[in-house]
Amino acid sequence: MAAFLIPLLAKISKELVRIVPGLVIGYLSVVSVILMTQVINTGQPIIEVIGGWSPPFGINLVFSAFTGFLVSLMTFMAFLIWIYSYRFKKIDDAPAQKYFILFMMLVTGSIGIVLTGDIFNLFVFMEITAIAAYSLTAFYRDRDGAEAGFKYLLIGSFASALMLLAIVLLYTQVGTLNMAEIAQRMHTVPQGMKITIFTLFMVGLGIEAEMFPLNGWAPDAYSQSPGPVGVAFAALVVKAGVYSLIRVIFTLFDIHGAYEFLIIMGAITMVIAEISALKQTNLKRMLAYSSIGQMGFVLIAFGINTNAAVFGAIFLMFNHAVIKGLLFMSGSYLVYNTPSKEIKDMAGIGKKLPLVSLFFALGALAIVGLPPFSGFWSKLYILMAAADSSFYYLMGTILIVSIIEIVYYFRVMGRLYFGKPQNDVILQKPTFGGIVAMSVLAVVIITIGIHPDFISGFIQSAADTLLDKAGYINNVLQSTNL
Amino acid sequence: MDIDYNQLMSIGVYGSAIGLILIGLYAVLIKKHLTKIVIGLSIIDAGIHLLFIAIGYIKDGTAPIFSPGGLKALENGQPMVDPVPQALVLTAIVIGFAVTAVALSLVIRLYRHHQTARIDQIKSLKW
Repeated sequence: MAAFLIPLLAKISKELVRIVPGLVIGYLSVVSVILMTQVINTGQPIIEVIGGWSPPFGINLVFSAFTGFLVSLMTFMAFLIWIYSYRFKKIDDAPAQKYFILFMMLVTGSIGIVLTGDIFNLFVFMEITAIAAYSLTAFYRDRDGAEAGFKYLLIGSFASALMLLAIVLLYTQVGTLNMAEIAQRMHTVPQGMKITIFTLFMVGLGIEAEMFPLNGWAPDAYSQSPGPVGVAFAALVVKAGVYSLIRVIFTLFDIHGAYEFLIIMGAITMVIAEISALKQTNLKRMLAYSSIGQMGFVLIAFGINTNAAVFGAIFLMFNHAVIKGLLFMSGSYLVYNTPSKEIKDMAGIGKKLPLVSLFFALGALAIVGLPPFSGFWSKLYILMAAADSSFYYLMGTILIVSIIEIVYYFRVMGRLYFGKPQNDVILQKPTFGGIVAMSVLAVVIITIGIHPDFISGFIQSAADTLLDKAGYINNVLQSTNL
Repeated sequence: MDIDYNQLMSIGVYGSAIGLILIGLYAVLIKKHLTKIVIGLSIIDAGIHLLFIAIGYIKDGTAPIFSPGGLKALENGQPMVDPVPQALVLTAIVIGFAVTAVALSLVIRLYRHHQTARIDQIKSLKW
């Protein structure tokens, strides 16, 4: 169980620059998948106590079905990103070392956010992730990365200040930092104070989760950072942000109206982001806005708050990580082959880079939710859940937004395949590792699409665990020392 | 008429903590110079740290150490201050330091790139 701490150790052994991160992440993902099946079979979460102090005094890590699923997803994606960026174009030896250190920090932070059972530890891990993310955004010296990075840093550190303030206020009210114990004592907190703390948390965490008025950083960060980092943001950072938001809302607070608030914020996020995506001319910015839109969709699904909707939401989180990963990976090769990064310059690339374009097209079809691919199932489940809870306006909004999504993805695909090639030069062919990573993702998308039962068992138990608040509290507080 | 110095003191500490947060907020939102914005962020952090420490402090409390002196004070009915906020603030200071360092390095990078450090003159990225 000490395997959770390996990413921390890995930062020490960073000298074997290229190989070690991959081995560590690969090992971690294998371990977390094994642990996840074990947890689901026994039905009992693993709770790791750090430093020998039992909760609520010490910091503890909780590996339940829900967190385990997310950690497995994250480590799996991190492993693929490692394969993808192993010989990525612009990363030479000296920057490669920095790149992999920062990347490992990002992975560590994201996993830590998901696993921790302590609200202040969550803040610490969030800062680790954030610092790595700022630096990775500004990784290239020749682009506007520094500007995007500074913008992200300004918003991000403001968010963390608010979150720290929220933790301070929470501590004065409940006198503990353990999340299970906070949840237990929450009913003693006066209503006004509760809403104040809740608002501070929402703003602080909403920034990391790309919630609507707070996501100004995202398009810049995605478009200016190196290709694989965009994948890491979509698959790790944002997932961790959404996780912590969900954890705070579902486990810590029981405010009346929080779920409705989540639905409204999610709907606004989704509509605004998809409309902005429609008018983007830069491919990566378009993908970034689409990513924000998907997160809005996830928030809506969590806000509906029935078992089926939460199931759909977790499924969508999985799909978004995999599909958006594929889109960013293939998209950044498309971008390298155009001088301006604009969609209009990509005409006819489909004939010159058939494989990359095929992957991009596959990802685009999957994310708009066409039947043979995995994106279809999550959308279907969420719509069915919305229908069950009779949110008919919401269903209408989701469907209209899906049409917008189809329009802008198909516009890119039309350019790729039916446009006239402008010049004959191929600037950059995909590396072998890049092709491997993209093929794995494509295979996952199609397999899950044809046979969703393959992972739905995991997701179902993850959803059950998330909704079982009393079980979470009991399990954490009863574990003395494993 | 006697003034409750204790209460006055706590109002002063809490007030200055909130004051620091507001000053920092002002700097972040109004100032146009990148370095001043970074300073503003640090001031917000300092304000929150002060607030945190003030919450953990108990009047006449001793240091929360299980030393002979500390235990003796405990037997005499003297309270200990809450150690948790102090530990948290220590961590938060380290984090704040790291963030400030990254921020300043980005400011240097931006200055070299644009030959200016005013945000109203750096606008190559927009929505």
